[in-house]
Amino acid sequence: MLDHILSILIFLPALAAVLGFVVHKDSAKAYGIAVSIIEFVVSLYLWFAFDPNVSGMQFMESLPIVPAFGVNYLLGIDGISLFIIIMASLFTMLGIASLGETKNMKNMVITLLFLQMTMVGVFAALDAILFYVFWELSLVPMLYIIGAWGGPLRIYASVKFFLYTFTGSLIMLVGMLFMAYLYYQATGHWSFSILEWYRLILPESYQLWLFAAFFIGFAIKVPMFPFHTWLPYAHGQAPTIGSVILAAVLLKMGTYAFIRFSLPMFPDAATFFMFPIAVLAIIMIIYTAMVAYAQEDIKQVVAYSSVSHMGVIVLGTFALNVEGITGSVFLMIGHGIVSGALFLLVGVIYDRRHTKLMSEFGGLASVMPRYATIFGIMMMASVGLPLLINFVGEFLSLLGFYQQSHITTLLAGTAIIVGAVYMLSAFKKAFFGEVTNEKNRNLPDINKRELVALIPLTIIAIWLGIYPKPILTPINNSVESIVALMHEKAITPEAKSRIPALEGKIIMQKSEAEVR
Amino acid sequence: MLSHVNVPLESLNIATLVPMLIPIIGALFILVIDLFKKDLSKSMYVMLSLLFVLLDFGSLIDFSIQFNTNGTMLGYFDLMLVDGLALLSQFIIVGASLLFIPLALTSKRFHEFSYSEFFALFLFMIAGFQFMVATDNLILIFIGLETASLALYTLIALHNRTKSFEAAVKYFTMGALAAGFYVFGAMVFYALTGSVEIHQMAAVFEADGFANLPYILVGVVFMLGALGFKLSLVPFHTWAPDVYEGASASMAGYMSIVPKIAGFVVAMRMFEFLVHSGIVWMDVILYATVVITMTAPNIWALVQTDVKRMLAYSSISHAGFVMAAVLIGSTQANSALFLYWVLFTFTNLGSFSMLWISRQKNLPAGQSSDHPYTKFAGMIKTAPLVATVMALFMLSLAGIPPFGLFWGKLYMISSAVAGGYIVLALIMALNSAIAGYYYVKLIVYMFMKEPVHGLEGKVYSMNASTSLRTIIGIAAIGTVFAVIAVNPLLEFITSFVYNSGY
Repeated sequence: MLDHILSILIFLPALAAVLGFVVHKDSAKAYGIAVSIIEFVVSLYLWFAFDPNVSGMQFMESLPIVPAFGVNYLLGIDGISLFIIIMASLFTMLGIASLGETKNMKNMVITLLFLQMTMVGVFAALDAILFYVFWELSLVPMLYIIGAWGGPLRIYASVKFFLYTFTGSLIMLVGMLFMAYLYYQATGHWSFSILEWYRLILPESYQLWLFAAFFIGFAIKVPMFPFHTWLPYAHGQAPTIGSVILAAVLLKMGTYAFIRFSLPMFPDAATFFMFPIAVLAIIMIIYTAMVAYAQEDIKQVVAYSSVSHMGVIVLGTFALNVEGITGSVFLMIGHGIVSGALFLLVGVIYDRRHTKLMSEFGGLASVMPRYATIFGIMMMASVGLPLLINFVGEFLSLLGFYQQSHITTLLAGTAIIVGAVYMLSAFKKAFFGEVTNEKNRNLPDINKRELVALIPLTIIAIWLGIYPKPILTPINNSVESIVALMHEKAITPEAKSRIPALEGKIIMQKSEAEVR
Repeated sequence: MLSHVNVPLESLNIATLVPMLIPIIGALFILVIDLFKKDLSKSMYVMLSLLFVLLDFGSLIDFSIQFNTNGTMLGYFDLMLVDGLALLSQFIIVGASLLFIPLALTSKRFHEFSYSEFFALFLFMIAGFQFMVATDNLILIFIGLETASLALYTLIALHNRTKSFEAAVKYFTMGALAAGFYVFGAMVFYALTGSVEIHQMAAVFEADGFANLPYILVGVVFMLGALGFKLSLVPFHTWAPDVYEGASASMAGYMSIVPKIAGFVVAMRMFEFLVHSGIVWMDVILYATVVITMTAPNIWALVQTDVKRMLAYSSISHAGFVMAAVLIGSTQANSALFLYWVLFTFTNLGSFSMLWISRQKNLPAGQSSDHPYTKFAGMIKTAPLVATVMALFMLSLAGIPPFGLFWGKLYMISSAVAGGYIVLALIMALNSAIAGYYYVKLIVYMFMKEPVHGLEGKVYSMNASTSLRTIIGIAAIGTVFAVIAVNPLLEFITSFVYNSGY
């Protein structure tokens, strides 16, 4: 079973989704929960069976799809993808469990299970085309979720989301095809295997162009400033479950892809673009924090703060050293847990009041104390309070970038602290003070169904904030091998000096082929 | 007194004519049956035609086995040229016809299928297209082209609606103009080289180093115009949307596939040596045509309110996309063309068939065309299965992996990259992104809007019969599981294209 555990993880939800068409609509939710629990247990087993001391790929599977063109069904995970996969299955499970009254519940459950297949697939794929297949396929269920269950502007939002991402990924596809062609020129056979591509040393000019092509695809997904305009619409219109999955998992595809593709394949280009990207990341952090402060809709506050923190992840990634990248991967997990939980929390109040405007609330802490407590913890985690999950990631990311540039890091660090203002003020407006609106006087506190989803997330946020080691060690091992590979592959002196050499570490792939 | 000409029968290699003779005999046979007994059920004619087309397909399999061992075959005074291109394109022509014929067995009665002539003309048309691709003689190409086109005009007109007559007449006049272009272009080439066979023309041109450049360009422009009409390349595309709208949906689907693959093969034969000749203008003319043909119809398709017209524009854009292969001219590109078109056959015939089964006999009040977007609103609630299948075809047309057309696009863009046409590859990618909008628009209507009042679920499959469902099922399976078929297809196609020297 271990040999095919990744395939099971990918295709179990897909199979369940197809069979789900037969399930009666009244039992659809229970069916979805059952399937996603199995999936989650399998993903936990994956963690159990995972060897944290191995830095390379594990659980690899390979099956030729189009051997004439070098396309393979190639799967494998390392410490980086392992936890994102677990997070994807966790959020699908909690998401389905927390679904309230939903029209067409059966369609929703089937769609979510399909979405889960694509999410796991993206993070497990080691073949560029396979990666692309899942990457693109993930758009379709999300298009449907936003478009069918969203708010009044849902169709505009969903189509905008789809077209934006679709355009970016097509440009990325051209990049992939060019990369494959370079590989073909160097070795004489076609391959889309990412591990094979790692072996290729490219001249800097090619690296720059290819980096740019991949960057457009990934940056739109993250979304990085100035490609972020689709996200507020998507979050604003999406139903709670859509926002949760989008923020927790789908956005991570972009930052994950930076680490999987851009850094190890184009180390010189990554060094070259390090500061321009850092500037974009800082604009992203500061600008979206300011926009968040100006929002009146509490969901938009969470949405913009989510973008703001994605900026820190990008900054950490482009520190190009072990601390920075490890921190950014850890922050991906933390950001997923926290912003997922925050969107769930916004959904709780929306279900009761059918509004998300902060001016409608006020004094909720006295009416819904348990709700206010969980919201408070998650908000603290979001602003990066020590001993909560995001602190670890933010600290490491900034520490990593501090080694590259002091000023940039100071700017980013200040921005994060100042950024806390909008969260605190939003919290104050909604939860403290007198109950001014009569409608809020008799709101029921958080119920069992909602607690089922939120308690585990709260526990994880505290647990990993206090003791991050179980996750940090495997991530660190895998990141070290990537950084070692980058250092070895780098050809410009600038990149050689920026990317640290790691003595005695195992390099992921020896570079053998060189394009001249 | 003329001396006695002695041609041994052996050297004629009459066998090369067999694939074309089968449908011709079939057509004559159907006409003869009609002489003896009128008012036979259309199902009889459908099955009879199917039988002949199947025989035709069988003979092609036989030829492809021979091709694998013997290589390119010539026959009938070297008029017939059975090479890999000819065989591959005939497979597509005959295969698409196999999928098309059962679409006549609708549950509602449509006028045109009650005539035996419909099926006879259909078989003649297949033979015409087969002649067109299986030769490099300009005259035989012309004969094949005209046989097929004249039959096709009549088939469109038989649909017996005001718009169908308009469509047929429009197509006929445009076709006549294209024929004129073709003949003029062929004349110029003949005047320059003294030959009507493409490979001999190429030899003469290369021998004298493309000496008469202005005249060659005149010939090229006329040829491109003529083929442009057939392939609906912009700016020769103006007939296409109107003709597709006037023709029945199934016929429109057929027209978007079969005449075009025949045209592509002629274009490949014609332009292969010209593209590689190093004449600057050739590249520029073709490059511009390709880019405009894939971009402009995409923009027009965005603003259509009728799904069939949208699909018409989209298929023009697909033709432009594939025409890039002729420009690139590498083995990979030419293989990509065939791969793309095989996958396109399943997807496009599938999506037009979906329109065909939802065709009402009479337009309801307040509906201006047969298939406006609004008709499909909220289909997921009233006819979930039909909506899902339709969405599948749309996703495939948009190039969403892992559905059929994605693999065609992938290989085509890759061939552009490998051929050094990076900008072209980017344009192709961006066009796919634009096209995404109008395909998704239909999905948005089907899945996210509220159903139209008064339209019940059965309106979307009112023409459905077992045979139509079977065809749609085959198309859907071909679209979804294309990923399994891509590798064998690709190897088969590449070996055929490579062994024909393209």
